[in-house]
Amino acid sequence: MLNKNKLINIIFATIIIAVSVLILVYLDIHEKSFRYEISIINKALVYAVIALSMNIAIGFTGLFSLGQAGFLAIGAYVTAILTISPEDKISVYYVDGVANFLQNIQFSPVVAILIGGLSAAIVASILGFPVLRLKSDYLAIATLGFAEIIRAVIATPQLNLPGLKINMNRITNGSFGLKNIPNFKSSLECFIYCLICIVLMIFIIKSTIGRDFRAVREDEIAAQSVGINIFKTKELSFIISSFFTGIGGGLLAMYLRSIESKTFSINLTYEILLMVVLGGIGSISGSIVGSFLVNVGKEVLRFCDTPQNIFGIQIPIFRTGFRMVIYSILLMIIVLFFRKGIMGGKEISPKEISKFLKRTVDKFNMFINRIKKKKGEIR
Amino acid sequence: MSENVLKLSSMSMQFGGVVAIDSLNLLINKKEIVAIIGPNGAGKTTAFNCITGIYTPTNGVIEFCGEKINSVKPEYITKKGISRTFQNIRLFKELSVFENVLIAMHLRNKSNLFFELFMLNVIENKKMIDEAYELLDSQNLLQYKDDISSSLPYGLQRKLEIVRALATKPKLLLLDEPAAGMNPQETMELTEYIGKIRDKYDLSILLIEHHMDLVMDISDRVYVLDFGKLIAEGTTKEIQNNEKVIKAYLGESDNA
Repeated sequence: MLNKNKLINIIFATIIIAVSVLILVYLDIHEKSFRYEISIINKALVYAVIALSMNIAIGFTGLFSLGQAGFLAIGAYVTAILTISPEDKISVYYVDGVANFLQNIQFSPVVAILIGGLSAAIVASILGFPVLRLKSDYLAIATLGFAEIIRAVIATPQLNLPGLKINMNRITNGSFGLKNIPNFKSSLECFIYCLICIVLMIFIIKSTIGRDFRAVREDEIAAQSVGINIFKTKELSFIISSFFTGIGGGLLAMYLRSIESKTFSINLTYEILLMVVLGGIGSISGSIVGSFLVNVGKEVLRFCDTPQNIFGIQIPIFRTGFRMVIYSILLMIIVLFFRKGIMGGKEISPKEISKFLKRTVDKFNMFINRIKKKKGEIR
Repeated sequence: MSENVLKLSSMSMQFGGVVAIDSLNLLINKKEIVAIIGPNGAGKTTAFNCITGIYTPTNGVIEFCGEKINSVKPEYITKKGISRTFQNIRLFKELSVFENVLIAMHLRNKSNLFFELFMLNVIENKKMIDEAYELLDSQNLLQYKDDISSSLPYGLQRKLEIVRALATKPKLLLLDEPAAGMNPQETMELTEYIGKIRDKYDLSILLIEHHMDLVMDISDRVYVLDFGKLIAEGTTKEIQNNEKVIKAYLGESDNA
């Protein structure tokens, strides 16, 4: 019974992946005419990785951490510094020049992204010791502060530590940002990176470790009483979440091609949090759906920014900025009608879809019956 | 010596100036069911929390199978073989019945991130899942395995909590008011059930309970606490006729 279910799920996932690959290959072949669509898809994919990594901490372990932007910044900057080619570095670091030890370094994107993820994970493991002793809101405040510190450190021209002066301009290029980061060669490449990350995260969430995470989220005292080490579990969750956030940061840097410290402000964290909450806290497919919804939605609504003519009459309210008004209203509607997010802690799987279809058909039948009854009454 | 599973020698617990437990001596032998009774605020649950490591007793020694376990952390105490249930049910509410039991089996599973990512412990995981099935089946909970645990009826939630405690394979089971909020019929079933699991898994059981029917039915020995002090101990018969106990429960008569 269990294996049959698993098999159906695997087949279902394979079909989805195959279809997405086919679509992307088609788009890649006709790259010139679909540049805009490809860009949106890549963005949504990268944000899906980031949203899911945030969901590991918030949704599955119950750690309300808002340090996402900080870890993204670490991952993005490490990836950027390691992938910009030596020739480009001269023009990128036009202010103070690049530090000697970085001058001739260039890794392939995969290695650079991995190093970015690892750096984020190492920082998280150190940060976790003091911060994870805090609960709920206090944890959010502490991690939020951490993210701001990271941003400030990146933007500062010179870091004056006691007995040590680091010229940050020569490493992060201070507030001037980094440019000429190599882009994805095709959207398929981006898809493969994101797919690997998402699959790995799903493995972790579905494993015994993921089950420990959820136990800690549900009830810490009960989790302790069945032999789960609370602190270790939280720390592990925080590190895993930060690792994938760092990787997401690297992918984001590659997608954006140029980054600066302002990219990683608190707003970025909130935007990711929005995707997580919208999709459903504690739902894997929810994070992915949320990411696509937010990113695609923002672009689809672009028509609101330009004056619209309906039947030859120009509607006055359609002008620059109106898009965000519509967007906010839509968000409010979603939050009002889907309290637990669109997926509500459930996953997209054949089982859930068939359940959903069955419910809808039942509702429809009831509706029809009611109408028939009313008609009968009238007669 | 090896016969006694748990031994408290003059254990005290103070919170600031409040003495919650005053030099308690307690002994549980193998396969024995021992009850702690006493009026509200007598320090029964505090004693449980000391044994399971949530509090560190201020004085005295707790020995489990001849090993001192003062100030050992709760999760390690569970690993040593003491498992407990809670006064107000503490299940993993949003998780299914099956997952609740499975999580309690994790402590015997030597897995780490590396193993999980590369699926190196498939056999071990499979074994764990089979064990969980077996346990649920033997406790007649298999039909509920996919239900969300908080959706179960109250009595079954209580039972599931006991089953979850059993999943850690304990030598000593601590039950904190297992029959709280149950009607007489359910209490009777529970009484039978506790006796059954004791025989099946060779458990020693320490329980706190206010239902005297249950206590008198299954306990081998009873300890009576009042204001943190042990006022009586003995078999159920002895306790029922003990003057101090009657005084603690019913108060003194005015004309005495």
